[in-house]
Amino acid sequence: MSLDPVTLALVQNRLDHVARQMGWVMIRTSRSPIFNQSHDFSCFVTDANGTLVSQADGIPIHTGGGGFAVRALLKAFAGRIGRDDAFLLNDPYVAGGNHLPDWVIARPVFARGSLFGFCCNRAHQSDIGGGAAGTYNPTATEIFHEGIRLPPLKLVEGGTTRDDLWQLLMINTRCPDLLDGDLRAMLGSTRIGAEQVAELVEDLGPEQASRYFEGILDHGDRRLRAILADLPDGTYRAEEKFDNDCFDPADIRIKVMLTIAGDRLKVDFTGTGGQIKGFKNSSLANTYSAVYAAIASFFDTDVPRNEGTFRAVEIVAPEGSLVNAKPPAPLTMCTVFPAHEIMHCCWWALGQANPRRNCAGWGKNTFPVTAGTAPDGRTWVMYNWGGNSGAGAVHGRDGFNQMGPMITLGGLVIPNAETYEQLYPVRVHRHELRGDAAGAGKWRGGTGVDYDVEVKSPAEHSFRGEGMSRPTGIGVEGGSDGLAATVTVATQGGESRTPPPYGIWRIGPSRLRISSPAGGGYGDPLERAPEQVLRDVRDELVSAHLAREIYGVVVAADGRSIDAAATEAARRALRQSREQSARTAPAGARVPAGVPA
Amino acid sequence: MPDAGSPASSGARAASGWRIGVDIGGTFTDLVAVDPYGTIHVFKVPSVPADPAEGVLDALARAAPAVGLGVSDLLRSSALVAHGSTIATNTLLEKKGARVGCLTTDGFRDSLEIRRGIRENPWEHRVPYPPVLVPRYLRRPVAGRIDADGSELAPLALGDVADAARRFRDEGVEAVAICLFNSFLDPEHEQKAADELARLWGGEWITLSSRLAPIMGEYERSSTAVMNAYVAPRTVGYLRGLNERLAALGLKRPILLIQNNGGAVSVEQVAERPVTLLLSGPAAGVGALGYYARAIGSEDLISMEIGGTSCDVILMAGGKVAFTDQLEIDRYHVVIPSVEVHTIGAGGGTIAGVDAAGLLFVGPGGAGAVPGPACYGRGGSAPTITDAQLVLGRLKPETYAGGAIRIDAALAERAVDEVVAKPLKLSREAAAAGMIRLMEQKLLHAVQRISIERGHDPRRFTLVACGGAGPLHGAEVGRRLGCRRVYVPRLSGAFCALGMLHADVRHDYVRVWLDRLDGADVAGMSTIFAELKQQATATLAREGFTGAETRLTRALDLRYIGQQWDITVPIAADSHDPRAIRRAFEAEHDRLFGHTQPDGTIEITKLRVTGIGALAPLGLPKPARATGAPQPIERRRVWLDDRTGWAETPVYDGARLAPDHAIDGPAVINEATMTVLIGTGDRLDVDAAGNFMITLRPERPL
Repeated sequence: MSLDPVTLALVQNRLDHVARQMGWVMIRTSRSPIFNQSHDFSCFVTDANGTLVSQADGIPIHTGGGGFAVRALLKAFAGRIGRDDAFLLNDPYVAGGNHLPDWVIARPVFARGSLFGFCCNRAHQSDIGGGAAGTYNPTATEIFHEGIRLPPLKLVEGGTTRDDLWQLLMINTRCPDLLDGDLRAMLGSTRIGAEQVAELVEDLGPEQASRYFEGILDHGDRRLRAILADLPDGTYRAEEKFDNDCFDPADIRIKVMLTIAGDRLKVDFTGTGGQIKGFKNSSLANTYSAVYAAIASFFDTDVPRNEGTFRAVEIVAPEGSLVNAKPPAPLTMCTVFPAHEIMHCCWWALGQANPRRNCAGWGKNTFPVTAGTAPDGRTWVMYNWGGNSGAGAVHGRDGFNQMGPMITLGGLVIPNAETYEQLYPVRVHRHELRGDAAGAGKWRGGTGVDYDVEVKSPAEHSFRGEGMSRPTGIGVEGGSDGLAATVTVATQGGESRTPPPYGIWRIGPSRLRISSPAGGGYGDPLERAPEQVLRDVRDELVSAHLAREIYGVVVAADGRSIDAAATEAARRALRQSREQSARTAPAGARVPAGVPA
Repeated sequence: MPDAGSPASSGARAASGWRIGVDIGGTFTDLVAVDPYGTIHVFKVPSVPADPAEGVLDALARAAPAVGLGVSDLLRSSALVAHGSTIATNTLLEKKGARVGCLTTDGFRDSLEIRRGIRENPWEHRVPYPPVLVPRYLRRPVAGRIDADGSELAPLALGDVADAARRFRDEGVEAVAICLFNSFLDPEHEQKAADELARLWGGEWITLSSRLAPIMGEYERSSTAVMNAYVAPRTVGYLRGLNERLAALGLKRPILLIQNNGGAVSVEQVAERPVTLLLSGPAAGVGALGYYARAIGSEDLISMEIGGTSCDVILMAGGKVAFTDQLEIDRYHVVIPSVEVHTIGAGGGTIAGVDAAGLLFVGPGGAGAVPGPACYGRGGSAPTITDAQLVLGRLKPETYAGGAIRIDAALAERAVDEVVAKPLKLSREAAAAGMIRLMEQKLLHAVQRISIERGHDPRRFTLVACGGAGPLHGAEVGRRLGCRRVYVPRLSGAFCALGMLHADVRHDYVRVWLDRLDGADVAGMSTIFAELKQQATATLAREGFTGAETRLTRALDLRYIGQQWDITVPIAADSHDPRAIRRAFEAEHDRLFGHTQPDGTIEITKLRVTGIGALAPLGLPKPARATGAPQPIERRRVWLDDRTGWAETPVYDGARLAPDHAIDGPAVINEATMTVLIGTGDRLDVDAAGNFMITLRPERPL
């Protein structure tokens, strides 16, 4: 029997509305800036099998991953799920978590006495114990160093919160006041969500409601298949790399072989390096989420992001590899790295099938998390978001000059320096765009920034710098790479030192300077509109020298206009010298990413 | 009935009785004139975008003879001319603002352009930002620094200001925004820089971020100051010009403008801060809600004003509307106390379609004025909500919008058939009805959003359906919300113009104050409050409000430590009772968020003072009562809902309905600029003021 198309649209919108409502409640009720300012959480609705049906509110790197969590709790509590229970979990190995800091609250939705689905949120906590304040411990070599592990737990039983469990959680964090407030916000938000979904199910009747939930998943499925069917069949490869394992230099590859066959897509990570010593291993839930986020962001934004959409996608992630680690490998960093690398690989492989939609690389973040103790004994944890990177360009727009992490697609908002000076013992000296750093292109990459902050009291800097040793904002379709980052730390009266990519420094008052990595360009710089190049020169984002050498644009002596004749000549000369070197250089000397391997 | 603003009741300020409200829209300029007896006259003339003042004068030239007066006589006898100006908004939307330069603290030249990385929908990563309003080469760094405790860390480098002034002259800069780091803590550097700049640059328009929006956060403060500088020359120039022209014609009192906060203000008061006019149009709805509240007998109202492209929702609870400091206009960020208006892309011209995988959608895209709905016959082939209403017989296929547009049902049917019905294998009626249901679901969600975010249960509220398209959806959306009543003002199309006449003069003052509630520096706070009250009193006095006509209120912005959002809690005059304040804060927190943190540390973040200059309330009209039962002018086939399907439905001419008339649904009421639809079991009563109160049949469909 077919579904009524109008009702289907109404049910889909109403579920999305429920997910968004959960998000509004989260933002307004949570305590920690990581929730209410950075929006590092997702709200989602699943069916009774744990299949994710709606995630209208969520950061990209959580896309579709929530289903793993609900399926894990269903397995753990089969037959013991009650109407007024609520569950908590985080463990990536046994509980379908993506990484330990992201805690999931799942609330069952009951309709006419039987389990119908779950309303959930997944949210990054401020601190969960472990070897470093603020959840990221770059010295971890086992998951045990990363904080408290939670299997699926019944946190609320029959409407009563379990005090013993609550106390267990509170003594395992450095920030109990924040955790307490944030967990309450999560519980409140899922309660409101569950009530709304129950109401919807009641309106439709449980059987009808199940069929419409299925219909929503089927629609997502049809939507992606139609898109895939339009792409040329073929196998497309792309690769990314780590140059360290968080401790020592290393050459670790993330390899994707993407096969489009008809209306199906296979994403095969075979050939990717094995799991590593440091905390950049990925859980399966995170790897799936990263692939889903890459696919969803590559295509039209109105493609649904439920698990039905991704039925056509088969993911092969070999066990024991970097993208499907075995315990007890540490993996807290995975939602950033290798998620960033996985997304890049998927973009560039898809970009071979559809170059117009290809996406240049976003600079990989290099900034540390800084923590210390306030005079009243509380721990403060400061994310140096002001040091975020430049984004990559796409056809039709330059890269955003500074953007929240790629794995949020910029959803994490960069804080005001004035606010930070009130919250933390810091003085921000500079937060400005970087000159001559952006990857060149018809559309240039984001510039990145120069960020300079003075930490006035002793502090612990936890470094997680992937974008330092080489460019990471890789250009595509003829665009060039953005500059790599530089990071230095100086203690008072001491000299500036470059920190390791990963590690913890516990030092006195200090000065942290970051030049964040710039984004890659898209397309041939010689095709960039001269007026845009002039504007960049006037804005001191591109020097007159590079304007001439890379873009072939000559700025007139007044500094305010273009020398049209000289520009034409310079562009001609640059094209000629390119042709010449193409004739003399060995083939494949410099293959930009995004070109079929 | 004499107007409450007649000499007998409110003294010399309103001596001559007439009130005029003018609202300039993109297409039409609406003028509402209320005579000394409370009778409302409405006029509509085409707007003159090139010179909006022309549109105002045209409207006056049309209105004056219609009420038996010359233009000068009408202006001379007007106690109040209120103006809801879209000129600031249009200046922004059309990117016709000033060439702006900016002074920033060295090291923070790019806050404006980095814009904290905010994009509304992260997934839309292929869409660029809107252009930055000040190019980097006109954002000039100035050395000097106020520290986080408000002390001076490094003196202001006046030489840098001089360099900037030179560049601004060379580059033809027309307005400058000064946005120095930490200036919310101490404005001294900004003031010094402004003095130096005024001396050396010679331009007229200088905005100080610390005066305009003394809030913490360099991005939002800069963005607000820059927006102010951007719209100032054109907006203030226009308003001054209009004021002078009207004064020359006889107007005695300066015109009043409606600000984002819903309050009125004089041209000279707003000259320094025209950014407060960006939301002028919809914010005037607050005055209208206040006006209708008396007729409705309730101060718990949600207005849903639906036009061709969008729907504005405003919530009033207990006579108070929700406020916000965070505005996003055309994707630019402005932080100014504003009425919270939730706007969604859903109107008569909203387009429906079917996606590549067979799912029906409605909006957010619209057909705009050109080509407009398919039925207008101007080349539109996409079915709009208006087309669906026509297919369902709720609009009549003749003329529309007061005769301005001729509509063709066959074109609407074709569009619905081709784009929706055939792909979904639905009947034409089911397709059109499905479009309307999706549209109404969007409206429902918009109303739910603003009520949920504000912690209110919408079922307690009376929905006020207005705007040209609102009354067609009011009954159904009200029913889905669980409301009992829906109110439809007969002047639905002139809702905002009328609202302006019911606004009070209002000035908001705010100062950042970071402190703990317990153990706060009470003396320090009192000093600041006294300063703000002094400012408010002086400003009101300049506008002619003294003594009993003025009202000052104080409030604190509070939050639990670590929270990002403040709650504004009104506090009693001249006292500081932390326990009472905590109770009030916790009650509000519980209502908004469903929980409190007993013993949680509460921080103070801002001190606020609001100065109100009370205008005499506008009287409600008292049209003659009905003498007989209402008679339909025709019966026609109307698709009522999925269950009923088509039904012969009586249609009434609104002009013939009078107080005491009652109509049982289903029925359609035709008014000049709108159509009202009530369903089976609903009942419509014409109230004493001549407006429509619909009592709903209770039901909660999907």
